[in-house]
Amino acid sequence: MDITLRHTPAVEVRVALRDLASVAVGLAPFAVLIGVTAVRTGAGAGAGVLSSATVFGGSAQLTALAMISDGASPLAVIAAVTLVNARFLLYAAALEPGFRGQPSWFRWLAPHFVVDPSYAMVTRRPDLLEDPSRFRRYWLTAGLGLAVTWVALTAAGALLAPVLPASSALDVAAPAMFLAVLVPQLRARPARAGAAVAAVVAATASPLPDGLGLLGGIAAGVAAATLSDRSAS
Amino acid sequence: MIMLGAAAATYALRVLLITVVPARRLPPALRRGLGHLAPAALAALVATALVGHRGLGALVTLSPAHVGLAAAALVALRFRNPALPVLAAVAVVLTWEVLT
Repeated sequence: MDITLRHTPAVEVRVALRDLASVAVGLAPFAVLIGVTAVRTGAGAGAGVLSSATVFGGSAQLTALAMISDGASPLAVIAAVTLVNARFLLYAAALEPGFRGQPSWFRWLAPHFVVDPSYAMVTRRPDLLEDPSRFRRYWLTAGLGLAVTWVALTAAGALLAPVLPASSALDVAAPAMFLAVLVPQLRARPARAGAAVAAVVAATASPLPDGLGLLGGIAAGVAAATLSDRSAS
Repeated sequence: MIMLGAAAATYALRVLLITVVPARRLPPALRRGLGHLAPAALAALVATALVGHRGLGALVTLSPAHVGLAAAALVALRFRNPALPVLAAVAVVLTWEVLT
């Protein structure tokens, strides 16, 4: 059968590109929205594109652009971005097994691609975490592809900002993509408990500033899922 | 300069538990919890997108985004391709906006 194919480097690259293609469809409107926001808030197209290349995290970019246009102090912007992106700390911890046994350059540079969609892509392929070279090929292809797509679409959004009509269709794409990854994971009881608690706590605490509601929801969901897992075993 | 500062802070978050202090050195209880991170994080992201900064009360009023995400959930139950729920959600929202 395809046992030979399965272990050739091209396979992980092809799989990553295929996964990336479907994720990119969901992310495209979000990246465009960042470009549009950068122009319409007066932060500028350059700031939008630069944030996509360096911060590389949609909700934190939107937070930073809004705060910059409101005249917030640099320290306040950096603190808010750190809080909004604090979930990357958790994603990184969960992805760490894939970075074991990797070359030093990979362990220092490749974490830049830790972001919601890349984390979601790897959770759908847990077998990758067991083989450093397969993980490396997959992660670099998916991460670089995601970053290039993200930056290009942000630039496109900035260019199209003057002609794009206001529509909430752009806002709904990213959460729909997260739903698409979440729903298949809800077969196990701990996952359902964790997701339900996380959703309720995040929604209830959403008025809190700087993404604290999101972070609280994630923490509560993880705790609920762990307790549910323990009571089941 | 602000963006570069924000980028440096974000990079520190990404690299801390991978390269600086690898997560395998965390206490076992914390490491067990990490296995449950994905559904919790994804559900929290979806919930936050649904309500914005308005709390649970935002769910009382039906909006195009609510209907779009409900359609996305239904499509995700039926199909494994993550692009289809997105297309469904965007199509529903655009249709809603055109019709109202």
